[in-house]
Amino acid sequence: MSALSILSVTPLIAQTNRAGIGTLVMLVLFILGSMWIGLLANRATQGTSFLKGFFLGNRGLGAWALALTATVQSGGTFMGFPSLVYAHGWAVALWIAGYMVVPITGFGILGKRLAQLSRRTGAITVPDIFRARFASPTLGLFASLLILFYMTAMMVAQFKAGALVMKNAWPGSGSLALSEDEPAFKLSKERIDALEKEKRVQKVDGRDVESPVLAPPILGAVRSLEGQGFRSENELYSALATGLSANPETKSLPPKEVSRIRKVVKVAAKQLDLLYFVGLVIFTVTVVGYTLMGGFLAAVWTDLFQSIMMWVGVLLLLFLALWHVGGMEQATLQAIQNTDPVNGSYVFGPGYDSSGSGREFMPIGLACSVFFIWVFSGVGSPAGMVRIMASESTAVIRRSIYLLSFYNACIYIPLIIICICGRAMIKDLAVSDEIIPQVTLAVTNFPGGSIVAGLILAAPFGAVMATVSSYLVVISSGLVRDVYQRFVNPRASQNQLRTMSYAAMIFVGALAIALNIEPVAYLQAIVVFSGTGAAATFCVPALMLCYWRRATVAGMISAMLAGAGTLLCMYVVGTLRIYGDQKIGVATDFTPYYLFGLEPIVWGLLVSLIAGVGISLLTNPPPEELLCELFDGDKPTVAA
Amino acid sequence: MPAAVNSGDPVLRSARREMFVTFGIFLVAVTYTGIYCGLNGYGRKVESLTFVLGFPDWIFWGIVVPWSVCIAFSLVFGALFMRDGDLGEELPSEEGGL
Repeated sequence: MSALSILSVTPLIAQTNRAGIGTLVMLVLFILGSMWIGLLANRATQGTSFLKGFFLGNRGLGAWALALTATVQSGGTFMGFPSLVYAHGWAVALWIAGYMVVPITGFGILGKRLAQLSRRTGAITVPDIFRARFASPTLGLFASLLILFYMTAMMVAQFKAGALVMKNAWPGSGSLALSEDEPAFKLSKERIDALEKEKRVQKVDGRDVESPVLAPPILGAVRSLEGQGFRSENELYSALATGLSANPETKSLPPKEVSRIRKVVKVAAKQLDLLYFVGLVIFTVTVVGYTLMGGFLAAVWTDLFQSIMMWVGVLLLLFLALWHVGGMEQATLQAIQNTDPVNGSYVFGPGYDSSGSGREFMPIGLACSVFFIWVFSGVGSPAGMVRIMASESTAVIRRSIYLLSFYNACIYIPLIIICICGRAMIKDLAVSDEIIPQVTLAVTNFPGGSIVAGLILAAPFGAVMATVSSYLVVISSGLVRDVYQRFVNPRASQNQLRTMSYAAMIFVGALAIALNIEPVAYLQAIVVFSGTGAAATFCVPALMLCYWRRATVAGMISAMLAGAGTLLCMYVVGTLRIYGDQKIGVATDFTPYYLFGLEPIVWGLLVSLIAGVGISLLTNPPPEELLCELFDGDKPTVAA
Repeated sequence: MPAAVNSGDPVLRSARREMFVTFGIFLVAVTYTGIYCGLNGYGRKVESLTFVLGFPDWIFWGIVVPWSVCIAFSLVFGALFMRDGDLGEELPSEEGGL
């Protein structure tokens, strides 16, 4: 296929409505499917112990459910990641390369031992196992509070993502972005076109005179902001002022007129409109609803359902995209032509930088340390640990390694190829988050293609739903099991626990809606912070818990505090730009300081390890009678 | 981390051994990929670019090949090295009073 014919597929933006309807239909199907799964899960847990059934699925997870849900992460994998590939090129393959070992590390490091200990101690939640292993309610409470902190931060942020995907799927919303994050203000082409047609009535010499809301020269300045995102009013106004000052006709407008223009542009650019709030409510009711019905099993089964849908969608899209551009080599060559033909930076490290600011997306040191993020975020994730605790047997854990190995290879490498094809097809996409929808629309232009397009475009919604539901289970189990049952009402009946669990989920859902009325600005960065924070906090303690009999309560608490504190400090230093902008990694305001060019998780794990081992050795060893029961295969017991 | 003094539990013994092997795989993967890609994927001229099975050469040898090896190793690890074990009797649930 010639370069000309490749470029002929670029004018795709106008097909928004077709995508919206297809996506909306698939979203409705996803919602109905999830509710049905919730009902099935509810039936499956009837007649068993409530807590173990609702929060742990009666320890009956099979290999497929465990493999495709324990370490496969949020919808961000299918939203932010493709955007990075489109923007920076093949170097992003290094960013995701850690997934080659995630299946084996995710289940091989803690899997078998964690599943065994959770049975031996009767633990239902992660704090349970910490408490029972060390016979320390203090440690249990401490772990509980930290888990609640990280999980709540991640979950609340994901509600915004769910609402945005829903809003963007609405026909005529004017957006195709599958972004987890979205600025507070953004001017789409459709909104500017609408502004162009708007009229206003002014009194001139006592007569009503109709004129455009924005005169053509002003509209020109507004058009220069098309597609750009602004996190605050000030950012929007500043860019608008720059646009106005570039034109001699609009350079010296009276302050009153500038103020009027600002108001008009602000209303047109506001993203959090009625559709966002409708999306937020529908998303919350759906996800809380089915999780309430089926608890842990509903979360796992919907996660499995969306993982399979995504797998089918990605492979289908890979085949269609490659067929469309004429092969992978052709795609890469065309992508180089479309970006930086002189240096070919799109195909080499540290990655292409369209801004020309000198930012290096992926220097090799950072690339190596990103391996740690995926590996240890999987190992140290409380939601992942719970799923391992729920696995049926060691054979299930073993089979999960095979399944996830194939799954990851079939998802991440094809996603990179698809986005490289995207760069070959679409030279300069204004909003890089739209790359998957745009490629999808380009390659499904055949009879029945809209169904395929709808499937691919709606799948991230399922991914976000599944992520939120699993966090909901962990948070409500933390509130009910680790706080209410331990400290408020230790003799609570099954009915009381059931009522409290439902109340906790509804409370968390309501809280998420309240916090998302004015949502967080740096959603993706917060998700990464929470994920790596949880890993730096819990990885070393979890290893000590499983394998080191000399570990003490003081050592465990020190390891948790040291890991969490190190990561937090690096985010504070980076975000406040205490040592300036390092110009590496993803460009965002909420960013860590990369000490020696490495991801903060590396330092968090190291400091946590030193603190955990050091303090344990400095404090009295735990009682031998407790250890022999958990380490030497003697009769199991549970902490008092 | 020091090893346990007395590891009579067979599941613990096999889990610990598998944990060390797993860490080893992780370290080998990150070292190989980091060194190979660092040497061959950075600071090159576009004229030197070649393709293997459609992938840029350094992506193929630095990421695709080790990824495939990891899949193969996962199969061997799961089928031959990792041992099934009895996870033990579960304690009665503590609902309704602790």
